[in-house]
Amino acid sequence: MDVATLTASLQLAAPEVMLAVGAMALLMFGVFAGDRAAMLVNAAATLLVLAAGAAALFYVPADGGEAFSGSFVVDPLATYAKVLIAAMAAAALVLSSTYLQNEKLAKCEYPVLVVLAVLGMMMMVSSRDLIALYIGIELQSLALYVLAAFNRDSLRASEAGLKYFVLGALSSGLLLYGASLIYGFAGSTQFTEIAIASGEPSIGLIFGLVFLLSGLAFKISAAPFHMWTPDVYEGAPTPVTALFAAAPKLAAIVLIARTLFEPFPVLSDEWRQVLMAISALSMGVGAFGALAQTNIKRLMAYSSIANMGFALVPLCAGTLKGVEGMLIYMTIYVVTTTGIFACILAMRRREGMVEEISDLAGLSKTHPGLATALTVLLFSIAGVPPLAGFFGKLYAFIPAIEAGLYWLAVFGFLMTVVAAFYYLRLIKLIWFDEAEQPLIAAPREANLIAAGSALVVFPILILPFAAGPGLELISYAAGSLF
Amino acid sequence: MGRLIAEHGPLLGVALSVAQIFAFVVVLLLSLAFLLLADRKIWAAVQMRKGPNVVGAFGLLQSFADFLKFVFKEIVVPAGADRTLFLLAPLLTFTLAFIGWAVVPVAPGWVIADLNVGILYLFAISSLGVYGIIIGGWASNSKYPFLGGLRSAAQMVSYEVSIGFVLITVLVLVGSLNLTDIVENQEGGLLNWHAFAPATIVVMFPMFVIFFISALAETNRPPFDLPEAESELVAGYQVEYSSTPYLLFMIGEYLNIVMMCALLTILFMGGWYAPHPALETVFIPPVFWFALKVCFFFFLFAMVKAIVPRYRYDQLMRLGWKIFLPTSLAAVMAVGAYVTYVGTG
Amino acid sequence: MNAFLLEYAPILIFLGIAGGLGVLFLLAAHLIAPGDPDPEKVSTYECGFNAFDDARMKFDVRFYLVAILFIIFDLEVAFLFPWALRLGEGGAFVFWSMMVFLGVLTIGFIYEWKKGALEWE
Repeated sequence: MDVATLTASLQLAAPEVMLAVGAMALLMFGVFAGDRAAMLVNAAATLLVLAAGAAALFYVPADGGEAFSGSFVVDPLATYAKVLIAAMAAAALVLSSTYLQNEKLAKCEYPVLVVLAVLGMMMMVSSRDLIALYIGIELQSLALYVLAAFNRDSLRASEAGLKYFVLGALSSGLLLYGASLIYGFAGSTQFTEIAIASGEPSIGLIFGLVFLLSGLAFKISAAPFHMWTPDVYEGAPTPVTALFAAAPKLAAIVLIARTLFEPFPVLSDEWRQVLMAISALSMGVGAFGALAQTNIKRLMAYSSIANMGFALVPLCAGTLKGVEGMLIYMTIYVVTTTGIFACILAMRRREGMVEEISDLAGLSKTHPGLATALTVLLFSIAGVPPLAGFFGKLYAFIPAIEAGLYWLAVFGFLMTVVAAFYYLRLIKLIWFDEAEQPLIAAPREANLIAAGSALVVFPILILPFAAGPGLELISYAAGSLF
Repeated sequence: MGRLIAEHGPLLGVALSVAQIFAFVVVLLLSLAFLLLADRKIWAAVQMRKGPNVVGAFGLLQSFADFLKFVFKEIVVPAGADRTLFLLAPLLTFTLAFIGWAVVPVAPGWVIADLNVGILYLFAISSLGVYGIIIGGWASNSKYPFLGGLRSAAQMVSYEVSIGFVLITVLVLVGSLNLTDIVENQEGGLLNWHAFAPATIVVMFPMFVIFFISALAETNRPPFDLPEAESELVAGYQVEYSSTPYLLFMIGEYLNIVMMCALLTILFMGGWYAPHPALETVFIPPVFWFALKVCFFFFLFAMVKAIVPRYRYDQLMRLGWKIFLPTSLAAVMAVGAYVTYVGTG
Repeated sequence: MNAFLLEYAPILIFLGIAGGLGVLFLLAAHLIAPGDPDPEKVSTYECGFNAFDDARMKFDVRFYLVAILFIIFDLEVAFLFPWALRLGEGGAFVFWSMMVFLGVLTIGFIYEWKKGALEWE
C-alpha cells in the first residue's frame, strides 16, 4: 500500500477517522480537565457523532466503493445505516446528559465510550472482510460492556455489565470459531473471495456460517441467544439502555444482511432455514416473555427481542424486497424505541427514576403531552394502523409471503396480537388508572425527542415522505447488496 | 545444532548434538559455581570480611561443598502445599533458565541453535520464567511466599516491558533477530559497539543503562530484591523451600543473572569482539573476550548488590512504569526515525 | 524433517537434558537425604507463630492492574518486532504507520497515568 491509496482509503473512511481521532482528543481533554468538564465533553461528543453522520452523508460519495484493499466498503446501504446510527447515538447522548447529572454519573469517559461504540458500529456496517467485521464488533461490544456497568456502585449495573461481558465473550468465541472455519474452507477472509469459494459449498463452510450467524444473533439479542437482554436492559443506566435498543441493533442486523447476501448467496437455502428458526423463536420469546414483566426496561428488552424477530422475517425471504423490508422495519423501530426511552427518561419522581409499569398509572392526568406521545409510540410499536409501525410490519411480512413463507407470516401476525396485549395494558394504565404520586418536571431534551419521534411515527406526517423518496432511498440502499 | 544432524545423519548427529549440549551444560554449571563464589567474595570484600575461605584454597571449592550439603538435606513439603506444583515450580525455573542459553553465541559459530528468531525466543523464554516464581509462591500455601510471589511477578512483568522496548531499539539498528547477526553488526572495535557508536550514543547509551537496571529488577537482584526483602517477607517465594528444590531455584536465578550479563554483552558490548581490532589475535580466542565481558557485568551486579540500598516497592513501580517505559518508548521512536531518515550507515 | 525444524531440534534436546538434570537433583535428595517429617516441621513458616487462616487470600487489585497493563504493552512490543526488522528497507511510510499506532497507545498510557493506575501508595 502506498501513500496515494492510503489517502484514498482514508477519505472513504472519513467518518470513522473523524470519530477515532475525535474520541482520542476528547479522552485527553476529559482526563486533563477532570469530571467538571463532563457535560462539555458530552456536548462535544454529540456534535462529533452528528458531524460523522453528516460526513457519511455529504462528504463521502454514497457509492464510494472499496477501501483498504477491499476490506472496507462504502455503498448506499452502509451510508444509510451510518446516518441512522449517528442520529440514534446522538439522540441517546442528548438524553443522557440530565440523567447522568442527576445520578451523579457525569464522567468524561461516558461520551468517549459512546463515540467509540459508534465507531465500531460504523465499521460493522462497512466491513467486507471477516477481520474488519470482527474488529468492528469487538470495538462496539467492548465499549458497550463498560457502558452497561457504568454505574459501578450499583449492584444491578455491575451484574449487568459482567453478564453482558461474559456472554458477549462467549458469542465472540462462537463468531471467531465460525470465521476461522470459513477462512479455513474458503481460503480467504474477504467476502468477495468467500463468495467465489462458496460456489462449491463444503460442510465446513456451512458449519462456519452457522457459528458466525449464532455469534451475530447474540449481538441483535435474537432468541435463543437473548438471555442477557432483560438483565442488561434493566441493570444498565437508562440512557445506556436507550442506546443499546437502537443503534447497535441496526448495525448488527445490517451486518447480518451483508454477511449473508454478499459472501453466501449460493448457500441461501441453508441460512434461510437458520434465520427462520431464529426469527420465529425471537418473536415467540419476545411476545410471551414480556407478558409477565413489571419493570418497563425489562418489558422493553422483551419487546426488542420480539422486534428483532420481526425484522428478520423479511430477510428470510432472501430477496431484494426482503432487505428493503428489513431496512424499513428497522428504521421505524429505532425511531420508535428511542422515542419510548425518551418518555421513560422524562418520567422522574423525587426519589428516583420511574421504572415500574404501575408507576405509569394516571400519566394522562398529570402529563397529558407526555402521555399522548407515549401512547402514539406504543400504538406504533404494537403495529396498530395507521401508525408507522403498522407499515413497518406490512413491509416486513409481504416479502415473506411472496417467498411462500406463509407459516412464518401467520406466526408473526399471531405474535403481534400477543404483543399488542401488553402494549395496550400500558396504554390502559396511562389513560384509565388513577395517579399515585406526581412526577417532577421532565428534562426538556427528553420531551423534545419523545415528541419528535412521536411525530415521526405519526403516519400523516411521514406518509408523503415514506411513500415516495423515502422508499426509493431504502431500495437504493438495499440494492447495494445485489 | 541442526547442522550436525543434517551433516552426520540422524543417529550420529543427535549423539554429537547431545554430547555438545552436555558439555555446554557442564561448562555452564562449573562457571556458575565459581561465579557464585565470586559473588560472595566481592560482597565480603566490600564489607571488609574474608568471605568463604575454608573449603579448598581461598574457598575455591565452597560451591561444591554447598551442592553436597543441599543434596544431603531433607526435602520438606509444607502441610497444605500442592505437592506437584511445589516441586514443579523450581524445576520449571531451572529448566527455563537453561534452555535460554541454547541460542546464545559465545564465539563465532559457537552456538547450540542458531535460530533466526533468537531474540524472540529469548523474550518468550524469559516471559515464561515468571511462572516458576508465581507457582512456587502459590503452591507453598504460606503467606510470605504468596506475597513474595505476587510482588515478584508484578515486578518482573513491569520491567519486562522496558526490556522489550530496549530490545527493539537494538533490533531496529541491526535489522535481524539473530543473535550472531547482532554481534557481527558491532565488528570493528569499541566505537562500533551499540552502546558507544558515536552516531547513536545519545540514545543507545541510556538504553544500555536502562537495560542494565531492568536486568537487576528482572532477576530480583538488589536493589530490587523486594520479593525477598528479608526484613519484610523473610525470603519471598523461597521461604518454604529446602534441599535441592531450593538449589534448583538458586541455580535458575543465577543462570538468569549470567544470561542477562551475556545479553548485555551481545546487545550492547560487541559480543566476542575485542575493544580494538588489533587485539583480536590468534592468541586470544574470541570466547575470551565474551567471557571477560560477562564477568565484568557480573562484577557490576555483585557491586550493586554490595553498595546500593534497597528500593521501596512504590519507588520500584514508579521507576519502571513512569520513567523507564516512557523513556524507552521515546527511544524506539528516535532510533526508528534515525534509521528511516539517516540510515543504518 | 526439513532444515527449518532441524534448527529447533537442539532446543528440544537441551530441554530434555536440562529437565532431566533438574529431576536428577530432586531424585538425589529424595533418595540420599533423610525423610522424617513431623507436624512441627511441615507447618508453614510464620515467624514462630502458629499459622492461621488460609494463605491463599485476597490480594491488592493493583497486581491485577499491573498484569493487564503488562499484556497491553507486551503485545505492543510483539507488534514492534516485525516492524523493527523491516524498517531499514521500508522507508518513511513504514515508520509513520507504526508511529500512528504508538501514538494511539501513548494516549492510552497518558490516560492511565492521569487516572492514577500507575500509583502504588
